[in-house]
Amino acid sequence: MDAQFAIAGRDFVISVTDKGVMSSILKMKKNQDKTCQLSSHTFMSVSGEPGDTSNFSEYIQGNVKLYSVRNSQDLSPSETANFIRGELADALRSRSPSHVNLLVAGYDKGAGEAALYWIDYLSAMAKVPFASHGYCGYFLYAVMDREYTPDITLDGAKALVKKCFEVLKTRFVIDFADYTIKVVDRDGTRELRQDEL
Amino acid sequence: MMDFAPMHSAPAEVPVEHHSHGGWDPYVDNGGTSLAIAGKDFVIVASDARQSDGYSINSRYDPKAFTLSNQTVLATTGYAADAKRLVEVLEQNAQTYFHKHEKQMSAPAMAQMLSNTLYYKRFFPYYVFPILCGLDKEGKGAVFAYDPVGNMERVVYQAYGSASALVQPFLDNQVAGANQRGHEGGLLDRETARKIAIDAFTGATERDIYTGDWLDIFVIDQTGIHREKRELKHD
Amino acid sequence: MNRLAEQLAANDMSEFGLHNNNDSAAIAGPSFQLAAGSNPAAFAHHFIDAKSEKDSLIKIAHGTTTLAFKFKDGVIVATDSRATAGNVIASQTVKKVIEINPYLLGTMAGGAADCSFWERVLGMECRLYELRNKKRISVAAASKMLANLVYRYKGMGLSMGTMVAGWDEKGPGLYYVDSEGQRIANDLFSVGSGSTYAYGILDSHYRYDMEVEEALDVARRAIYHATHRDAYSGGIVRMYWVRETGWEAFPLEDVGQLYYRYHPEIQLTNSAESPLTVAPLA
Repeated sequence: MDAQFAIAGRDFVISVTDKGVMSSILKMKKNQDKTCQLSSHTFMSVSGEPGDTSNFSEYIQGNVKLYSVRNSQDLSPSETANFIRGELADALRSRSPSHVNLLVAGYDKGAGEAALYWIDYLSAMAKVPFASHGYCGYFLYAVMDREYTPDITLDGAKALVKKCFEVLKTRFVIDFADYTIKVVDRDGTRELRQDEL
Repeated sequence: MMDFAPMHSAPAEVPVEHHSHGGWDPYVDNGGTSLAIAGKDFVIVASDARQSDGYSINSRYDPKAFTLSNQTVLATTGYAADAKRLVEVLEQNAQTYFHKHEKQMSAPAMAQMLSNTLYYKRFFPYYVFPILCGLDKEGKGAVFAYDPVGNMERVVYQAYGSASALVQPFLDNQVAGANQRGHEGGLLDRETARKIAIDAFTGATERDIYTGDWLDIFVIDQTGIHREKRELKHD
Repeated sequence: MNRLAEQLAANDMSEFGLHNNNDSAAIAGPSFQLAAGSNPAAFAHHFIDAKSEKDSLIKIAHGTTTLAFKFKDGVIVATDSRATAGNVIASQTVKKVIEINPYLLGTMAGGAADCSFWERVLGMECRLYELRNKKRISVAAASKMLANLVYRYKGMGLSMGTMVAGWDEKGPGLYYVDSEGQRIANDLFSVGSGSTYAYGILDSHYRYDMEVEEALDVARRAIYHATHRDAYSGGIVRMYWVRETGWEAFPLEDVGQLYYRYHPEIQLTNSAESPLTVAPLA
């Protein structure tokens, strides 16, 4: 029931995650950050089974950081995504699979381009221009298909995110009070408020 | 890739024998009732001795209250075989403790040990509702009541078993003075407690098909454990 | 989902290139006896159901209202005291606040034994931390230890919904930890079958800048109204206040008495024939 989507341009990715923590019929928290910073230019948003989400993302975060420390070099977004996919695939074939859905967003400083990877709990992975997990995809993919262009600017993407919020507000049963909005580009990662869109 | 910090999984101990779980049912409720009442310097423990399986009576005298030491009694209900196994384990541990420390295990120490013993079988529980009785450090009566997986509560009185829904409210009224105006409160004297225990069982025998035949009564005090066997109705 | 079985098979699985997780067992832990067979977790699930009131053979104490919130002078923790097994009230005198150490409290919702056992283990780990590091453990670290302990048994049927409240170098701390392995920080939580009712009172009366008396009053009323509407909650209200000097407990209050305090139009009389009389409407 989480809202989780992202849009990639040539040199940036903008990612949106709702901030709610729900437990059956209850809203337990409304300001939880469901993203996980992996390096200065890479982060991921996480949804899925409670417990698995934080456990798996902290495990990934720890090992991605460990790689940086050992090699004095960050993993690129594609390397990071492939590493995560591999770990998730191993977990899937063990007796303790992690039920987590991920969107890995990053800016590859070497190649000078941004990248967005969609990974689901079955460790299927795709490099995509825009992506979503869960129910909100049923509403947002059509909007993103209609509005997206490969040369979309950050301002264009921000406007698209606003359109997505409007669709969710008018048509989705759940009212998401607040969202974590993150942008990654050549300058690194930064968080935006809703009124900065 | 290289060696990653591993995620952890749980440690466990497993018997080697293998069963298929399709319909394997290792539990039976053998019925019967146990109760305990704590006093200022004593505890009364009472259990009936009927053992049933459904509508059949297996035994008219199979005691389910056991002396664990010369200061502690364990009253049980639930599955008789698990209760007997539990008593074996507790006796062994108490014996080891005695040889290690050259002293008898106190009731509160025994109480925590029982809780842990039950919890270590959290995923394959003893189907037993134990009541552990003894005297505490100050010599006061101590009753510890448990659920099958080791949740423990020190109480003044407790009834468990097939007639617990009949006996517990009776004890609430007669021992704690619940819903009685002008009740002074305080603990019962020994003879009153004994009479209430007996009344509880004669009453339970009338209304619960799984309770009856014989009644084992234990009184624990500073001088040791005093045992009494009384007859209940046999129908 | 079966983590225990994975551990059992850890050595056999090495041929598949899986990590053998036991070698670096930094976390020591108790070892449990399991039912024989290929799926002990399924066995445990079949006979014991600590998560619902379904008619499983082994009934476990269940049902609760617990709450805790931060405010300007620390943390208030409040609970009811009822334990139910099926439709029977197993106890009206349960202590659902676990005193981990003089600065840390844990609450009990779900399986009573699961909460008290793992919070006892947590108490031991916190003491060892003090001995090793010559300082008290933070609430964040303590709650994380508890979450990690129970996460190893995810899928095995543990049932625990607990709030870890305390005071550390950073000030008041409050975390929700459950047997799913979830751990979240917030200023206000309520857990248990009566939590929705408690939230109703808390959300409409809670303010961060309350004085202690007002904070205790909000907590008491939240528990009271939960016991009034939730049949699985009841007994007595137990309250704690955690501040810089550690926690302190308050006198127990019977919700039966609170009923007459909060509904002054109903009077308790000494007439045995008619114990309750309602004042006629004006």
